[in-house]
Amino acid sequence: MKKHGLILLTLALGLSALFASVAFADEPVMGGVLRWHEINDPPKVDPAQVTDTTSSRVVYLMFDSLVENDADGKGVTPALAESWEGSDGGKVWTFHLRKGVHFHKETEGQPTANGGREVKAADWKYSFERLVYENSPRAYFLDMVKGYQDFISRDETGAKEWAGIKVVDDYTLQFELEYPFAPFVAVLAYNTFVVVPKEDAEKWGKEFNFHPVGTGPFCFDKWDHDQKLATKRNPDYWRKDDAGRQLPYLDGVEIVVIPDPTITYEEYKKGNIDCYRDIPDEFYEDVQANYKSVFQERPQLGTYYYGFNNEMGDFAGPEKLKLRQAFNYAVDRARISDLVLNGRFPAARGVLPPGFPGYNENLKGYEYNPEKAKELMKESGYPDGFEVELLVNNNPRHRAVGEAIQAQVAELGIKMSIKVLDWGVMLDLCDRGEVNLFRMGWVVDYADPDNFLYVLFHSSNKGAKGNYSRYSNPEFDKLVEQARVDTDYAKRMELYQKAEQILVDDAAWLFLFHYSNSLLYQPWVKNIHMPAFGDYTTPLYNVWVQK
Amino acid sequence: MLSYILRRLLYTIPVVWGVVTVVFILINVVPGDPARLMLGQRGDPATLAKIRSDMGLDLPIYQQYFNFLRDVAKGDLGKSYRSNEQVTTALLERFKATFRLALWAIILAALVGITAGVISAVKQYSAFDYSAMIIAISGVSAPVFWVGLLLLLAFAYNLNWIPGVGYGDGDWRYLILPVITLGVRPAALLARITRSCMLEVLSQDYVRTARAKGLAERVVVGRHAFRNALIPVITILGTQISDLLSGAVLTETIFAWPGIGRLEVEALINRDFPIMRGGIIFMALIFLVANLIVDLSYGFIDPRVRYD
Repeated sequence: MKKHGLILLTLALGLSALFASVAFADEPVMGGVLRWHEINDPPKVDPAQVTDTTSSRVVYLMFDSLVENDADGKGVTPALAESWEGSDGGKVWTFHLRKGVHFHKETEGQPTANGGREVKAADWKYSFERLVYENSPRAYFLDMVKGYQDFISRDETGAKEWAGIKVVDDYTLQFELEYPFAPFVAVLAYNTFVVVPKEDAEKWGKEFNFHPVGTGPFCFDKWDHDQKLATKRNPDYWRKDDAGRQLPYLDGVEIVVIPDPTITYEEYKKGNIDCYRDIPDEFYEDVQANYKSVFQERPQLGTYYYGFNNEMGDFAGPEKLKLRQAFNYAVDRARISDLVLNGRFPAARGVLPPGFPGYNENLKGYEYNPEKAKELMKESGYPDGFEVELLVNNNPRHRAVGEAIQAQVAELGIKMSIKVLDWGVMLDLCDRGEVNLFRMGWVVDYADPDNFLYVLFHSSNKGAKGNYSRYSNPEFDKLVEQARVDTDYAKRMELYQKAEQILVDDAAWLFLFHYSNSLLYQPWVKNIHMPAFGDYTTPLYNVWVQK
Repeated sequence: MLSYILRRLLYTIPVVWGVVTVVFILINVVPGDPARLMLGQRGDPATLAKIRSDMGLDLPIYQQYFNFLRDVAKGDLGKSYRSNEQVTTALLERFKATFRLALWAIILAALVGITAGVISAVKQYSAFDYSAMIIAISGVSAPVFWVGLLLLLAFAYNLNWIPGVGYGDGDWRYLILPVITLGVRPAALLARITRSCMLEVLSQDYVRTARAKGLAERVVVGRHAFRNALIPVITILGTQISDLLSGAVLTETIFAWPGIGRLEVEALINRDFPIMRGGIIFMALIFLVANLIVDLSYGFIDPRVRYD
């Protein structure tokens, strides 16, 4: 009996220890530095100048915006604005700011010029106006805010301020727009539209890029170019976890720069880096086989396409509609994705990615149908095929996809040659419309179909503003214009779906794939969740390391 | 001697001017607009015009050229279009890392290459000679990226003797593999050159005379033959030093070494004209200085060389 009692006691103790360890495993651990890999040095970390994903990664660590994209990319959630409302038919937007948010008190081991003071509405007005002063490449995203044109031409107009941005009181900020613009709040989640302290921004001027100060979970610490950029925990960060603990948990995040993908993968295996985003195709199978439990993958809100020049050249105009459609029927997207991309990129039937607002499950797209393609080619006057040159920018993945498509369309007699160009050259040619067929991709800037359909296809945006395929259709224009100003969400989505169907029927692009996001991390990295917006936007304020 | 140095330094002025001009022309004919690249995939024409104006790219080309010449003459290489960093600061910062790597690589190459070359020549057709020359031919032919990857896989990732890639905050262990990778080719080249020069010198009459005088072989080889064989070796060493100091893109990329080669390649991809121009001028200066040092060293090695 005594013996049984001892066994039971041991069992009970063992079980309670097991449960305790399970419970503790989910408990956040304070401290530790997370090493996040990037392939190149961030070119700019001043949010006013950021246009690339590496720099954006850093900006997300150190700065905050009024609103944030939600994890699934379906809308926005409050950040430094607690709430907001639209009035005057969507022409006025009022934001109620969170109280008790402070700028970084320390940077690079020194006190900041602002001293860690509280963020007020005037700081937001300053931050938005600074974008114009600094010629931010993204300031024009807000060109619908009243007074933008006057303010960017202030030398001629004498405008002293951006008239449409008003400080109502310390915690209320108001935007007045030139016209109702339904996606306005979604645009404000873009990582350029963050708050910066005037004292530090003016102290450093153009050098603010090397001494950034914000309100984010991590403060800037040290930047060894082409090696690493180190950040430290912001002890006054405004966020707390559900149990009331101060965030972030980590002592800091280091952006580690390693240019070679093979070496990066080896460094990951050795445990020298904690997070490796955008896993290259060549390691995908190995990752799936060996690291599945620490690998996240999900569709990204973006589309990979080949643009036809709809305005001039071999594919232009309604008379070449059948030819563009033939091309769309001639490509077996699923097979190419399987063969070349490890099946990671889902086939695109249209423009909007699955899960994105306005995505149409019933969109009538193009399926692989070589017979139909042949028939359409015959009808369009090319029964024996034709020759065409595809331009792609220099990237192994783009070349591999191009070669696979080249082989598929060759079966229909289409001789497609591939010309590989530098990205800068490619952009120049696309801006000027001196292209017939070109590879391009689009990853969303803000969670609204406007960012795809208006930006990439409205006739006013031909060229550098996004419409590289130089598509123009008055009926389509009318629909997307209407959708921009309508405040009824359901009606807007309906308008976008109609517009997208027109685009697909017109075969404005060779619709190919939707992008996919991936993130590989170490087993000791806990509570990491990659959002649909992109691996580089993964929040790290609530991540901890448990070794 | 002093007048020779001054004359050589004066010659560098037209050379640098020539380099500056050629660089300016070449960079401006390369397609791809740096202002457009700064906008990212899309941007509005008004912002593009403002950025171009800020960069001075809206000025007529001759005016851009004269402004550039004026700034270079003042020692101002401008600011990076991409990061806004001062070009001189960026180059000097990366040069520190490149210099550290190149210095050790060249010391390793000189020690291994010259020693192997001398022994091979003295013991011609011996097992050492054959082995050293096979290794040297492999060293000259082996691609740098292949050597680097192999070394990393073996010593950093399988045997775990080396912590990994990167600069390692100056930790010497991070230097070992990139130094070997970078040093293999110059060492092999030096071994082959030293061997052939030594063989030529060893067949000269004065070497036979020295041996006939009864001098020890060590003295014949070390004092009479080696010194005379050094001039072509020093010339090759000089060009190798210039090459290595200009940055080793592949080695720097594989080992994530923050050197000047990587900076220049990034600048080229992103059409960062000021960094591209500054980097090329900097490299030209390195070549000029290295050549001057090599030329001056001839006088110390061979007393017949005069600078008057």
